[in-house]
Amino acid sequence: MLDVAHISFAYGTRPILKDITFDVAPGEIVALTGPNGAGKTTLLKVLACLLMQDAGTVHLHGVDTLQRPIKYRRTIGYLSAHNPLYNDMTVEEYLTYRVRLKGERAMRVRRRINEALSASGLTDVRDTRIGLLSHGYRKRVGLADALSTFPKLLLLDDLLAGLDRPQRAACGAALSAASLRAAVIATGHELDEMLNWCTRVIVLNRGRIAAMFRTSDFDRAELIEQVDKLLADPDDAQEVSA
Amino acid sequence: MKAIRVIWLREVRAFRGAFSCGVPMVAFLVVYGWTFVMMLRNNEGSVLQIQSVWGLSVAPWLPILCAVLTMRLFAEERATGMIDLLMSAPIRERDLVLGKFFSAMTAVVVTLGLSLLVPALLLPALAGPQLARPSAAAIAATSLILLLQASTWCAAGTMISVLFRNQAAAAVSSLVVCSALPIAVYAAILAWLPGVRTSVAWMPLLMHVHDFSTGLFTTSVIMLYVATALFFLFACSKLLALLRLRG
Repeated sequence: MLDVAHISFAYGTRPILKDITFDVAPGEIVALTGPNGAGKTTLLKVLACLLMQDAGTVHLHGVDTLQRPIKYRRTIGYLSAHNPLYNDMTVEEYLTYRVRLKGERAMRVRRRINEALSASGLTDVRDTRIGLLSHGYRKRVGLADALSTFPKLLLLDDLLAGLDRPQRAACGAALSAASLRAAVIATGHELDEMLNWCTRVIVLNRGRIAAMFRTSDFDRAELIEQVDKLLADPDDAQEVSA
Repeated sequence: MKAIRVIWLREVRAFRGAFSCGVPMVAFLVVYGWTFVMMLRNNEGSVLQIQSVWGLSVAPWLPILCAVLTMRLFAEERATGMIDLLMSAPIRERDLVLGKFFSAMTAVVVTLGLSLLVPALLLPALAGPQLARPSAAAIAATSLILLLQASTWCAAGTMISVLFRNQAAAAVSSLVVCSALPIAVYAAILAWLPGVRTSVAWMPLLMHVHDFSTGLFTTSVIMLYVATALFFLFACSKLLALLRLRG
């Protein structure tokens, strides 16, 4: 479904992503982890068409991001790490704006918003101004926005950062439900939490894929240990990648 | 078209509640009102018509109003990171630019409409029944040139707003481009070519306002403003596209 082939990207002369290749099948939830500066956010930005790769291709259901960017963007949902929102709008107004901006038909807008509110547990704050919401609720608004138009690919940057355990569990449940009709790529450092719902772990280090693990092939503790070992010793990561 | 309308509605709503809209509009109306009264007093007994006085007292302050109205359009989105969400939506850069540009123009149209209240309320009180009322066509012609000029300033301000994360920096840069630069060029021309002074008594931008307000339409002038506005809007959408390359 999502084919990422030989992606490279550099800010000026500083390479950030080097020859990234992987694919994601429908229904998969991929946890993209790695140390700070590994290139997780940049990779997600390339996948969200916010940055144009220097080399390589990204295809979603055969649609190339560079050749048909509008069609591609119609099929993705993106949650930024900073989770910017319009504080002067209520949750419902914001989602209405976003759903309309994504080109949803007028007759479907209300239904989509109700579904997104329900999936993200925001029904009780739908009329609350976003500026008054706590960090956790704001994150959920961002998630509801990403989920709102039933995207085929969900790109979630640092979804769990700053959330307490119940909120993390709620996000996990929302993602598991969303994965029934979409592929999900979520970045973060909370591997222990992400293992509750992800099907694959990709470890990124220094702009390269250091390792990929199917969660079904490993014992949970063993997987965490392996990832920790990779991240503790960057040289090992380079070898695994090679 | 739908995306333009959605963005326009959002921005108009943001303008409605924004400090950066209400305060400059009120300040503009105060300064313009003072200019209008001073111009009336200075031109007492002259042949300058009311719609010309209105246009000539509005025009010098328009670049400042447009710079302040457009400063937040993209600078704020870039500062908050909202630009990422906008750019990940399935819309073209030009739709984003046009939606924001039209919202700034909406604020300008509202301000110009309010500025008409000054002559409408002040003059009957001062001159009484002897006042010759300007025709609707004369007001429309003056409004046209003011809107053409405002569209150029707003387009330039929108483009400059893409370049900054800081709204104040965007406003100052817009002012330099829209106000200081034309004045500097005009001053330089007069300094180096003193002979031109007799044929170009007023700054061309003000001369355009005077010409239109007296019914002297020039296609080349209309084309000049339209082409300049389109150039800035085109450049703005290309700059946005460039953000994808540079990050």
